[in-house]
Amino acid sequence: MKISHNWLQTYFDKPIPSTKELEALFAAHSFEVEDINEAGWMGSGETDSVFEIKVLPDMAHYCLSHEGVASEISFITGLKMKNRLASEVKVNIKDEPKVKVNDPKFCRRYMTRIVEVSPLQTHSPPWIYNLLDSIGQRSISPIVDITNYVMYDIGQPLHAFAADKVHGSLCVRPAKDGEKIVLLDGRELILTTSDNVIADDEGPLVVAGAKGGKRAEISEQTKRIIIESANFEPTVVRRTSTKYDIRSDSSKRFENEITPELAYQGMTNACHLISKYYPDAKFGPVVDIYPAKTKQTIIEFDPAYLEERLGMKIPLDKAKEILERMGIIVSSLCPTSGKWSLTIPYKRLDLVIKEDIVEEIGRIYGYDHIVGILPPKLPNPPTMNPGFYLCEKIKNILTSKGFSEVSLYTLVEKGEVETLKPLAKDKAFARPDLSLGMAACLERNALNADLLGLEAIKIFEIGHIFKKDSEEIHLAIGARQIKKVKGLKSENLIQEVLETLGKEVITSHSNSQDDSDDVISKAFLQAKIQPTGIVEINLSELVESFASKADLKKLSLKDLNFQPASNKRYTKFSLYPFIVRDIALFVPEYIMSETVWQTIEKGIDKAGAKELLVKHSLFDVFKKDGKTSYAYRLIFQSFERTLTDDEVAKIMNEINGALKAEGWEVR
Amino acid sequence: MEKSQPVGRLHPITQIIRQIYSIFEEIGFTVADGPELEDEFHNFDALNIPKDHPARDMQDTFWIKNQKLNIKDQKLESQGSALLDVQNDQDRMVLRTHTSSVQIRYLETHKPPVRIIVPGKVFRNEATDATHEAQFFQVEALYVDKNVSMAHLKGTLENMFRKLYGPDVEIRFRPSFFSFTEPSVEVDMRWKGKWLEVGGAGLVHPNVLKAAGVDPAEWQGFAFGFGLDRIAMLKFGIDDIRYIYNGDLRLVNQF
Repeated sequence: MKISHNWLQTYFDKPIPSTKELEALFAAHSFEVEDINEAGWMGSGETDSVFEIKVLPDMAHYCLSHEGVASEISFITGLKMKNRLASEVKVNIKDEPKVKVNDPKFCRRYMTRIVEVSPLQTHSPPWIYNLLDSIGQRSISPIVDITNYVMYDIGQPLHAFAADKVHGSLCVRPAKDGEKIVLLDGRELILTTSDNVIADDEGPLVVAGAKGGKRAEISEQTKRIIIESANFEPTVVRRTSTKYDIRSDSSKRFENEITPELAYQGMTNACHLISKYYPDAKFGPVVDIYPAKTKQTIIEFDPAYLEERLGMKIPLDKAKEILERMGIIVSSLCPTSGKWSLTIPYKRLDLVIKEDIVEEIGRIYGYDHIVGILPPKLPNPPTMNPGFYLCEKIKNILTSKGFSEVSLYTLVEKGEVETLKPLAKDKAFARPDLSLGMAACLERNALNADLLGLEAIKIFEIGHIFKKDSEEIHLAIGARQIKKVKGLKSENLIQEVLETLGKEVITSHSNSQDDSDDVISKAFLQAKIQPTGIVEINLSELVESFASKADLKKLSLKDLNFQPASNKRYTKFSLYPFIVRDIALFVPEYIMSETVWQTIEKGIDKAGAKELLVKHSLFDVFKKDGKTSYAYRLIFQSFERTLTDDEVAKIMNEINGALKAEGWEVR
Repeated sequence: MEKSQPVGRLHPITQIIRQIYSIFEEIGFTVADGPELEDEFHNFDALNIPKDHPARDMQDTFWIKNQKLNIKDQKLESQGSALLDVQNDQDRMVLRTHTSSVQIRYLETHKPPVRIIVPGKVFRNEATDATHEAQFFQVEALYVDKNVSMAHLKGTLENMFRKLYGPDVEIRFRPSFFSFTEPSVEVDMRWKGKWLEVGGAGLVHPNVLKAAGVDPAEWQGFAFGFGLDRIAMLKFGIDDIRYIYNGDLRLVNQF
């Protein structure tokens, strides 16, 4: 929400802290300032700073307004706020709107009156124009601007109808099924009985609490106006405004709930401003339908509770002062108990239980005063979670066998459990298995095998899968043999690791050597390997069996040998394709590989391609007839572009040249 | 030529989870878990986030399509209507938006005192970019005992972040709002001279304890929930969260 610094200043006689100072104070004690922008004021040299404040639901009862945010300044700094309640205007005409409220649970309060303005004004008062402009609100007409100003000022939404366009009496009632309304923006809604409207004898004029209708819209020419200051039930306003996507500054305030008491201040302030701007304005009597007057919340509070929950000492007089800055009346319940009775201001709907009071005092006094302590020590180590233990053990075995762990996407193109509003068509379902993702992952990594320096891609994932009626934890293991080795297939790699898992997962944890071991061992040993080189196993079943049979007290963290996370820093990799070149040569027997490599590097340097060589390996060495053969694999890749074969051919030429200059024979 | 079996690597998130678990095991915490496909009660209502409350807007939720939708609902659905979000359907399921749902599940089946951490995958229906993913990992902690204070929360967090990032790390609280904690705070960590936001925390709201069948007059607790991806990204210097979930060994094998 946008909050103007100049506007905040109007609540104080003394200067308030600067924008930067306020930003820090708000962050430490109230809410997050997401952004600060400068605004220039028309026709004056003045400038303004505008906070973008993130008001969360608890503070939204009173802080979706400049007054609310100003009150936070007062709570934090102790600066006194001015009393800004306007005086009531004189009633000088008799007319009053006829109003009926059908459901007082939905419409908790309805205040309204007729106002006749003259002479007509085309522009709003400049100070209102400027304040609204600061917070990004366009000027519409003087009356609408005044009602908007009051909403942003104190948080009470108001509505103004053109009185002459209202036929008969006003009624706050549920809409009839199929009833239509054309909104101010021209959109037509077809309403249902779960929506509430303010209607006249002809039909809906306003979607209550959310959006005004076109039919009784006021203009600069409107002389007779009906002003409404009302209070509506939050969830109904929220449902209607969400359903038709008509969230407005008004619905936002109602759905976060404001006190019905505020309606009075809204009506009074608006009429006061109208009377100032239209000196000849005439006001009818206020109709106030308010059958169940709101009661003030009273919280019984034991100040000892503060230190118990906050874990810091706060002097009692300090705590009391903070509450009093908030307008809370603090009185002693009885002298012996030391307990307080706290009378909460109407607008503070967020203060209901004693924990709320702890937070208020804690945040204003400052959480920085808290000194951290650890929870008390326990005599015994905690019991290990068997499911966690089993999964981590499996991870240990798999990594020891050269398998790396991946974590893939849960949301996929096809499955049995579908999301309602997917991010994308190919991410509409929760995955029904791990195998499909694993197959694609093998494929992608296989392309990078040379770059990774791997002869085989070996990966696994442990994750949740979703069937129509069940959720399971699965393990998928995938392998792809890249380097051709006679008689070695991808399946062999998996078969081998399954055998290890079958033997090692269950070792000494079980109480007995009964068939429970077999359930787990068999699951690995008899798992079916798919032709894609993937195996998928339901771990949920194994966890159950393990948990029922294992001696949980014997499971120890030590067995899992957890290491601290790696201290390595991530090195970026290029997203462009790489090119592989092999080079083999004969050199006299006494020449060491280091010497050969230095010569190759010379060639690369000469080609100016030092940063393009991302990886190299010596992959073959043999001796024959007094000569040694060295074979190198070179991988070239750019961070900026796709390399061409020509480019790499030039580099290889330079390398060949450098090697030949030594008199060596490139094969 | 030397031939060694390449070592398999643990995913960076697993490495972080293991280190965090070791840190917490030492002070008496065990691991708890729960389903990723969660019912509305455990994900929201029991956590003091009632239907039609603005607090529900704080998390973009993946709702699950109900097979039992009646004809009227199907019409709404075809219009993409948000009304579906406000229907009173008992069986509504979500991809859990936080690991906090496990707080309730654990308290329903275990008597306090309770010390658990919950590492797990969570989901948010929001557009992805370098720092946002529709899926990510959180670690939740729940401590329920007699006489639990914000000082315990701060001490526990200092202990964790100092062991993860080094002994100079400082922790601070800023006021915030979560339906399931009161007071609620944002936690910042000062590391390498900079304050970084790391997650949300607070004292367990009495309504949450009540919903799980625990008497708040006798027991209190603290809870926190942090994004493990963010912790991993800071620790390892990973600049794009999307690399964490595409299974690319060019990332995994670095650690």
